[in-house]
Amino acid sequence: MPTPFIMPKMDMDQESVIINEWLKQEGDSVEKGEPVIVIETDKITSEVEAPASGTLARILYANNEEAPVTQVVAYILEEGETEADLPEAPGESEPKAGTAVKQDVSDEPAEKPRKSATPIAVRMAKAENIDLDKVPAQGDRITKDDVEAYLASVDRVEPRVQVPATPAARRLASEEGVSLGEVTGSGPRGRVQADDVRATAARVAAPQPVPQPKLSAGQTLPLSSIRKRIADRMTASYQSTPHIYLTVEVDMLEAEESRKRMNQLAGEPSISITAYLVRLVAWALKRHPLLNATLEDDQIKLWEEVNIGIATALDEGLIVPVVHHADQLSAVEINLRMRELAQKARAGTLAREEIQGGTFTISNLGMYGVDSFTAIINPPQSAILAVGTVRRKPVVVDAEDTVMVRPMMMLTLGADHRVVDGAVAASFLADMVKAIETPELLLI
Amino acid sequence: MPEITYRQAIHDAMVEEMRRDGRVFLIGEDIGTYGGAFGVSAGMLEEFGPGRIVETPISEEAIIGAAAGAAMVGMRPIAEMMFMDFILLTMEPLVNQAAKARYMFGGKATVPMVVRMPGGSGTGAAAQHSQSLETILMHIPGIKVVAPSTSYDAKGLLISSIRDLNPICFVEHKLLYKSKGEVPEEEYAIPLGVADVKREGRDLTLVASGIMVHKSLDAAQIVAEEDGISVEVVDPRTLRPLDVDTIAKSVKKTGRLLVVHEAVKTAGWAGEVMASVSETPSWDYLDAPMRRLTGKDVPIPYNRHLEAAAVPQVDDIVREVRAIVNTQY
Amino acid sequence: MSNNHLMEFDNEKTTDVLEKSKQLGLLEKDLVEMYRTMISIRLFEEMADKLYALGKVHGTMHLSAGQEGVAVGTGKVMGAEDYLLNHHRGHGHFIASGADIKKMMAEFLGKETGYCKGRGGSMHIADVEANNLGANGIVGGGIQLAAGVGLAIKMMGEERVVLVIFGDGAANQGILYESFNMAAIWDLPVVYLCENNQYGMSADVTRVSSKVPFKERATAHGIPGYYIDGNDVLAVYETMANAVEHARSRKGPVFVEAQTYRYFGHSKSDRNLYRTRDEIEEWKHRDPIERFQKLLVDANIITEEDIEKIYQEMSQLIDEAVEFAENSPEPDVSEVTEWVYA
Repeated sequence: MPTPFIMPKMDMDQESVIINEWLKQEGDSVEKGEPVIVIETDKITSEVEAPASGTLARILYANNEEAPVTQVVAYILEEGETEADLPEAPGESEPKAGTAVKQDVSDEPAEKPRKSATPIAVRMAKAENIDLDKVPAQGDRITKDDVEAYLASVDRVEPRVQVPATPAARRLASEEGVSLGEVTGSGPRGRVQADDVRATAARVAAPQPVPQPKLSAGQTLPLSSIRKRIADRMTASYQSTPHIYLTVEVDMLEAEESRKRMNQLAGEPSISITAYLVRLVAWALKRHPLLNATLEDDQIKLWEEVNIGIATALDEGLIVPVVHHADQLSAVEINLRMRELAQKARAGTLAREEIQGGTFTISNLGMYGVDSFTAIINPPQSAILAVGTVRRKPVVVDAEDTVMVRPMMMLTLGADHRVVDGAVAASFLADMVKAIETPELLLI
Repeated sequence: MPEITYRQAIHDAMVEEMRRDGRVFLIGEDIGTYGGAFGVSAGMLEEFGPGRIVETPISEEAIIGAAAGAAMVGMRPIAEMMFMDFILLTMEPLVNQAAKARYMFGGKATVPMVVRMPGGSGTGAAAQHSQSLETILMHIPGIKVVAPSTSYDAKGLLISSIRDLNPICFVEHKLLYKSKGEVPEEEYAIPLGVADVKREGRDLTLVASGIMVHKSLDAAQIVAEEDGISVEVVDPRTLRPLDVDTIAKSVKKTGRLLVVHEAVKTAGWAGEVMASVSETPSWDYLDAPMRRLTGKDVPIPYNRHLEAAAVPQVDDIVREVRAIVNTQY
Repeated sequence: MSNNHLMEFDNEKTTDVLEKSKQLGLLEKDLVEMYRTMISIRLFEEMADKLYALGKVHGTMHLSAGQEGVAVGTGKVMGAEDYLLNHHRGHGHFIASGADIKKMMAEFLGKETGYCKGRGGSMHIADVEANNLGANGIVGGGIQLAAGVGLAIKMMGEERVVLVIFGDGAANQGILYESFNMAAIWDLPVVYLCENNQYGMSADVTRVSSKVPFKERATAHGIPGYYIDGNDVLAVYETMANAVEHARSRKGPVFVEAQTYRYFGHSKSDRNLYRTRDEIEEWKHRDPIERFQKLLVDANIITEEDIEKIYQEMSQLIDEAVEFAENSPEPDVSEVTEWVYA
């Protein structure tokens, strides 16, 4: 059988050689080990020796032609053999040694483009999901430059919004449905920080039923972005937080007396019922830290600070300014602080920190004559207190069933059942009732 | 718990393991009568004799090569490099032999050896005896890099290192040898690859190792008292494999990351920590650019003041923490 | 011409194989087995070259054809319990130490069934369980480990020795002298075998070495040294047997330098620019296989027919190894990160 003369591979990364010269011609006899071809690689000129002894036949690559390594470049006939003994289809039916084990490492798609393209161009087209056939080529082959020019010429998706923001701010904005473009960044070079997003989000969210609508019946308006945010936030809270509600009725007689005396002592402005309640709530929260807490990542965080948010209705929506460190303030200080916050809220001049950091919320709809209602928890807090109107009505006041008319008020506590059990909530309300009915308790 | 020095903790770990396992031996320069350049092996020659306290010529490459060879055939050598800087003479046996044998041979070899090496500046030893070369070692798959900061960690981690089946680079800090800490009298081991939160906090995660843990804790105390800033100090303890989970969890909580190391900045491991964090979901919780405070890109100078200026000090850390938390970057 | 530096060998030239083998305690069957092993090495290397030319080999390789005398003379001496630290041109030594040719060929082709599951290739074939601590891609790499292995043997009180084989190139690595010193001061059972094939890649050993033979560098460390003809397989056997006995009897390290020659280039990119075709041809006249074969034929231990039969059998063995390797699975790429750590 004729011996195939295979062009040897000499380097790890070599694919072909240039045949400089055949030292023997077809029909010449060669000895095994005798130099037969002078070849040139990108490194060096070298000689290739005959793999067997015999007659050189069917040279497949002429002088100065490029020949692939590991492929047949000629044959050597043994004594007695002729050209007729050679395989029929030169080169093609030959062993595929080399190519068979070579891994296909190109990224080319299965369907090749009709025009030839550089590997980089093919990769780019694949990555950008464009049809290479549509790319006009400057030269013979489609190049990277051609693909880039094509990309620039067609309409692409709109560029990414370039608002500088921290990763945390971007995440929060996405979670809160806030557009980064609407947030004023407080970081260097105007970068939006997480707190900036929280402020924007908090400005528009409060766990409150809507105040009296000003709109005429039947009129339809698209949701404003503020309303949209309130809607999203409340929906998220209501859906993700299992709320429990507990309601108590409390006799406000002592509280009203107490408030009157305080007002006589402290002078103007008079202390509001809400301010008075904030003081008591702050006291009660210190005794029931689970209601002054946040559930996060399977951990209940008990806050040291007692910062009470006051749901405040504005024409354009709701806002919840926060009385920070309410447990460390007197009723008079709380009252002054609340007035200041309310004024700023109406003027739209609340600072970011004045609406942040709330750990509990009070919502008072008493001024609207509402007896009692349930409110949705303002995340990430774990509870909210809904305060109804003070209504005078007959009640039994002692063990002898004596009926008297007293100023009565309904308090409804909404709590996150993941954090707070019914008994804990009830105990908080019981303390509230005691404190309202016996204000001296705070002094003990 | 009794308080012992970092030096004593390392000494005790070696002695206890040598008593427990006859395959464990110590090899290095001047480790016998002299007790080692930093006195860590003082007294060991008397207990174990020259057969197991193997004093060598000054031939670092041969020491590590010998340790690797002995480890491959069943021994558990602990090699002491007099200074971490000298490890550079041993890159060949350490990196090309010890670290690769297992993989290269298709999982059929193990090279259980520990190379102990004192690193770091602060002793006026200048450029060739003060380097922190952890990163060079961390770059090599097959090697583990351990860097304890306390007596407790030093003993527990060294015991685990000696029992581990891989080549371990155990980086000690010269200035810590005299530091004291509580170490239980009963036997214990600290698993490799587990970070330790040395101080809990909520405003900033500070990752530091070795002596920088102590400087960082001092800085954390200062900013807590003066600024109300709450810093969480995380000590990886093992630099490779790095406990990215613990660091990332902390970053998720605090939203800020500062990495402090004594090694020079360029291609230092702070970059590895930051890159690793950015590959986790904690990236979404970052509210400030991640920062690193490292040794300056200089050889360690001799002069006392220059030497101190070349690596992070407590004041530098305080300044950096404030700048990050106050959104100055 | 590089071999002008050939000096007088310490060994006596083998002329009478019968007398020599009697003296060495080798039986006729031992001699035939040694001859067969030499043939199998030669054919393995020729097949390796062929497979490379066919593009079936992914990396490079270093062939030892021409050096079979050193491999077989040494391999026959070593006990199964002795450790071997091999160099990058290590196929012959592995075959001579009894390695499975199929697993070697599979490793050569990077297959899962190879000695190192395709992770090592030609340059890192190892069989740790069989005390074969691997070929080494670093020139002098095994030398670094040798003193440690010797130290472990001594500490464990075992009777093994460690044989570390390296080339003339490695003899100029500084680690050799750190290793000599350590092995000498601690009397370690290390046998240093310097396989001098005259070229460190292209560097003529006489051009890059201050003084040859290298044995004088060993004796300067108080280590007995021998300079022998590596193409005389029985001379190698004799010297190595004495060297191993020296180390095994706890007399400390010993050094042997065996002069030989490689026919193929250093690696596959070698164009033999540094030596002439004539030089290679001349060395082929000192071929270790032909010399041994002639002695065996002259002594009527084998016939021309036997030789043909041995070649056929060994060829078949190699062909079967290739077939085994080619039909073996590739490693699973999902396991690429396995075995970095224990």
